[in-house]
Amino acid sequence: MAKRRDEGEDGEGESVLDEGQAEAAARDVDEPVISFRDVHVAYDRPILKGVSFTLSPGTTKIVLGGSGSGKTTILRIMLGLLKADAGSVVVDGTEVTALSEEEMRDVRLKIGMVFQEGALFDSLTVGENVGYRLIEEGKLDEAEIEARVREMLGFVGLATHFDKMPSDLSGGQKRRVAFARALVARPQIMFYDEPTTGLDPITATTITDLICKVRDLDGVSSILVTHQLRDAYNVARTFMIKKDDEYVTSVVEDVSTVEGTEFMMLREGTVVFEGSPHELQTSADPYIREFLS
Amino acid sequence: MESSRSLALVASMGRRLFDRFKETVLAVQDYVLLAARGLAALFTPPRYPREMVAQMDSLGVGSLSIVVLTGMFTGMVLTLQSAASLDAFGARPYVGRLVCVSMVRELGPVLTALMVTGRVGSGMAAELGSMVVTQQIDALRVLGSDPIRKLVAPRLLAGIVMVPLLTIISDTLGIFGGSLIGIFNLKLSWEFFWRSVGNALTINDLVMGLAKPVMFGFILSSVGCHMGLRTTGGTQGVGLATTRSVVVASVLILASDFFMTKLLLLLFPVT
Repeated sequence: MAKRRDEGEDGEGESVLDEGQAEAAARDVDEPVISFRDVHVAYDRPILKGVSFTLSPGTTKIVLGGSGSGKTTILRIMLGLLKADAGSVVVDGTEVTALSEEEMRDVRLKIGMVFQEGALFDSLTVGENVGYRLIEEGKLDEAEIEARVREMLGFVGLATHFDKMPSDLSGGQKRRVAFARALVARPQIMFYDEPTTGLDPITATTITDLICKVRDLDGVSSILVTHQLRDAYNVARTFMIKKDDEYVTSVVEDVSTVEGTEFMMLREGTVVFEGSPHELQTSADPYIREFLS
Repeated sequence: MESSRSLALVASMGRRLFDRFKETVLAVQDYVLLAARGLAALFTPPRYPREMVAQMDSLGVGSLSIVVLTGMFTGMVLTLQSAASLDAFGARPYVGRLVCVSMVRELGPVLTALMVTGRVGSGMAAELGSMVVTQQIDALRVLGSDPIRKLVAPRLLAGIVMVPLLTIISDTLGIFGGSLIGIFNLKLSWEFFWRSVGNALTINDLVMGLAKPVMFGFILSSVGCHMGLRTTGGTQGVGLATTRSVVVASVLILASDFFMTKLLLLLFPVT
């Protein structure tokens, strides 16, 4: 097991999701936080064809697949941005398929989402972007919101970027701001849509380390959609612990011992694989072998 | 063999026509729903006063210069053209009356709306379209905001409030420009020109001149938002949405102008 010290650009801070998990903790540990059952979606052609899976509390599901296989559609359905034609989608005990936009807002409060390119609001500063949800909720005063936003920016290593505009940031910094924005309301579930696509390997590792940090230190359940195998395995094999006020990253060399992370592979809207990282690596399925090669 | 190929061709054309018709009906349905929800959002909380002020500033103050120039030059050219025609009947002194009524009832509202459509309606479509293709609209929804309340309602309000105000400015400057031509080119007296303007204007003219821009402001902003939010296909789609927004809004403004004129003439006949 190799070890390396976690390094941030500036002011990388404390674990930030140390509260707001009571509801998740009180829930039956066996009850999945997300349940997808026989979900079908079609536009001009079928996008999802009977997709089923579950996500257990505190675990990570990594969804792999080529372009157009339906990976992002799964996230959009869970967020209520898209309605399934058939099937059942339960998020934290709530069936979301028939919810209105208004009702969906309560479900979305439990979820943090990191979009593919960050999807930061161009007209707002970094600080306003990160604090957007808190400002909308209107429960905290300005000073509390600013403190919370600065804490979040410190967590992603961008504490000094509070007043910058998104256009002044690099691709990797935009993703980290998007990360901070998704985490600011202390979600129980995190979704990542291709968070490392288009980034250089070092910046991609910074992002995958953040994913691991949120998962390991705060017990957040997450779904990572990606086609970057290297980053997917990084998330599966990397574990974060806090030791003497410092974050220590452990990398598991033998994937057969990895726990808490499951892979799922989609092909043309159908689940062709679901299992552990080790099972994926040893699969004899020709499509999976081709994908892994 | 030949006839079956022709039949297949006709069937394919029929299918395409039907698909196009279906798309149009769906687009109209989406537009009506968006406009209705946008209007309803103006009367129910939560509202976004900061956004509303920003949009009014962008639409109103931002369009001031083009509206001033358009109004002034329209009034000037209208005076020149009217005088040439009126001279044939020895009716040059009536030029002020003609210019004022034409500006207030028709040219001011229509030209202002068309200019604002080109400048602001297209901007609305481009801005919202960019937000769609960069997933900012999705992000808004995920973060608990309703894009209709946050983005559409403030733009509708800005259109409904600011286009009539811009029209008043355009009308005033149009008549002022006409008066300059009347005095310096047509050798009419300042006092005579403005007295004929004052005598010509009736309440009915003002009602017509202010009812139209309210409708035009609503049309240009709702069409801009609708086209922007329906954007698909990346940056190319944003360009298409912008062009469509200007074309559709301009046609709708001109068509609704006819129907509103017809209706308003029935309700408020010229005395």
